[in-house]
Amino acid sequence: MVESPSVVRTQAQKSDRIEARANALLGDCRRAFHAFGNLDELAENLRILSLNAELAAGRAGEKGRAVRALTQYTRELVNRLAQIQGDMDSLRGRTFALSSTIQRTLLQLALFERACGLVEDGEHDRAAGAAAARAFADLMRMLVDTLEGMDDCVDELARRTHGVEEVVSQSDSIATNIAIEAAAAGVHEKEFRTVSDTMRHYVDDLRLMIDEASDSVRRASERGDALRRLGLDSLDELEH
Amino acid sequence: MKCVTLFRQDDHLWQVFGQDPDRPDNIIDTNQYLVRSGNSAILLDPGGMEVFPAMLAALTREIPVDEIKALFLSHQDPDIGSSLPLWRRVCGPDIKVYLSWLWAGFTAHFDRDASFTTIPDEGMEVSLTHELRLRFIPAHYLHSSGNFNVYDAKAKVLFSGDIGAALVPRTQAEDGMFVTDFAAHIQYMDGFHRRWLASERARDAWVAQVSKLDIDILAPQHGLLFKGDDVKRFIEWFSTLEIGSGIAAMNR
Repeated sequence: MVESPSVVRTQAQKSDRIEARANALLGDCRRAFHAFGNLDELAENLRILSLNAELAAGRAGEKGRAVRALTQYTRELVNRLAQIQGDMDSLRGRTFALSSTIQRTLLQLALFERACGLVEDGEHDRAAGAAAARAFADLMRMLVDTLEGMDDCVDELARRTHGVEEVVSQSDSIATNIAIEAAAAGVHEKEFRTVSDTMRHYVDDLRLMIDEASDSVRRASERGDALRRLGLDSLDELEH
Repeated sequence: MKCVTLFRQDDHLWQVFGQDPDRPDNIIDTNQYLVRSGNSAILLDPGGMEVFPAMLAALTREIPVDEIKALFLSHQDPDIGSSLPLWRRVCGPDIKVYLSWLWAGFTAHFDRDASFTTIPDEGMEVSLTHELRLRFIPAHYLHSSGNFNVYDAKAKVLFSGDIGAALVPRTQAEDGMFVTDFAAHIQYMDGFHRRWLASERARDAWVAQVSKLDIDILAPQHGLLFKGDDVKRFIEWFSTLEIGSGIAAMNR
């Protein structure tokens, strides 16, 4: 158990490093969320495209049977994107809440660190120094828990990004197959080709989102893990 | 941070903490008060986050931290209670926090885990010990709409919150904590009272109620304290002052 204010004094630099890295991590998360900002709009465009494609497939009769099946797969992918978007919205809220807890805790740590510095001159009630040191340790434990929570959020963000990558890959296949069906569709070729081209355009937009987000997600993952370890090291130093 | 004992009789004490020389210029100076009786103490307007380290250091020269049994917040301002989560970490877990019922949900923004003993509009009496009772006296709209002073009939001290407050420049701050020249002190109180305090009706009601009290020391949350004849001088000065000057900026 931490009883000595002097142990607390050694933590100031670590707290500064945690603050700097937490700010950088939040910046990465913000950039990643921003990259996926139009995901719901894109999902909606894809849904409308699949409906129009289904109508065109209906008009094509027998020649549109395969395309009709492909539009249904497309709608499943749209549902997946909507699910991912919903998950990201709640993840964004959690990430910012955790970030705010980190900032608040770091501020309180700095104040207790200052207090420990002022009470360890031997003129104060000893229990005050011990109480301040204990408060510092409790806050550090809370900070470590929050940093772990933040690291979990970053892992989830990486998983959702991977989910979008899978949708891109599958949508790309669907676009290719519709293009193949278009070649054999006779008078409906132009219509099906338009569907395929539009879908490729949306796939390209999704790829751009992923490209924008990927670096940020990768950095966030590395930072999140490093932060968690830094917090654990600080706590370990305090408690031993 | 300075600590001055205002009253002492056996183990019954009033102490004021303030005029921290290390306070940054952009942070308003505040007075924090400790009322002690036996092994119990209540901290009145414990202060903002920024003064917490200095306040903890100054206070624990005088008293063990676990003797603080209660905190009193006269109203919701951050210079009064934003240090709440920090005090609750170092003091006992069963520390009481007194606050106007009006502000409990708002002050929770400083410390969402705190629970408050809320004060009804008409005020209340609390016993710090068997020997010492304190009265929380309503002072609503002066300036906060849910606002209380603290009166100790034994010590004849009235903690008056923002009433009596003065913004004394650091370079002009006197060596002591008390006003010694009331006429010269007015310039530091005038602007504050005219702009911050809202209601002349409330002012008149406050003057009527405190005029019935026996007060040796009037102790505000900012600036110098009043003792002896200066208490009466202040109440008389305040009773005729035009306040609520912010209204002039409205509906122009």
